[in-house]
Amino acid sequence: MTRALGWLAALGLLAGLAAGFGYAPREAVQGNVQRIMYLHVPSVLTAYLAFGLVLLGSIAYLATRRPGWDRLAGSAAEIGVLFTGVTIVSGSIWGKPTWGTWWTWDARLTSTAVLFCVYVGYLMLRGLIDDPEARGRYAAVVGILGAVNIPIVHFSVKWWRALHQPSTILGPEPSPIDPAIGLALFVNWVAFTLLFAYFLSRRIEIARLEEQT
Amino acid sequence: MPANWSYVIAAYGIAAVALFGYWRHLARRARALAARPRAAKARAA
Repeated sequence: MTRALGWLAALGLLAGLAAGFGYAPREAVQGNVQRIMYLHVPSVLTAYLAFGLVLLGSIAYLATRRPGWDRLAGSAAEIGVLFTGVTIVSGSIWGKPTWGTWWTWDARLTSTAVLFCVYVGYLMLRGLIDDPEARGRYAAVVGILGAVNIPIVHFSVKWWRALHQPSTILGPEPSPIDPAIGLALFVNWVAFTLLFAYFLSRRIEIARLEEQT
Repeated sequence: MPANWSYVIAAYGIAAVALFGYWRHLARRARALAARPRAAKARAA
């Protein structure tokens, strides 16, 4: 199952590259640099998914005290941090030619950096506590509190005046994206979700083996 | 608007290194954990 997910993710990523660089047209205003969107947006959507699973695993662990939920939360947090890092770096590289700066303390960028730091802290906390029961309990509390930042990141561009553009997908209005660009984005989002599922499956299995040894 | 391909290549290159690096990290960790019971059995024998 995990191996099949890995192959599906690899095929999906190849399809995503073909869609982003071959099928999707050159964007009229930004030019080729807009193609970073096919990496940046799926990365942040995957990070949202990962941190959503941290929230789910944390609540379920506190309710049931089953170690499987703690393994899910810890594994999803690690992968979420990876994808948030990719989001921040790709966004920074995209920002330089379009905004003229690598970084600015804009609401979206700042809240994303806070999200990254919160879950790095979550992972550090897990690393500091040896007792599995106490680690699961403390981490679950941080996992639940940390999830408060997810809607803040997403809606920051609506709540505050920001340099970052408002949501063009997952927004209340119909998406103004060109259908070819939208399809390329969708293919890359599916590929990143498959990659996340593959990483999560392997990471949970590793966590299970670590607990046995 | 200039082509700006260098930015595109940098973004995709860094992401590829990060994702491939994480995949390798998981593969190494899984191999190390799978080898532990075998090593313990070999010591016991």
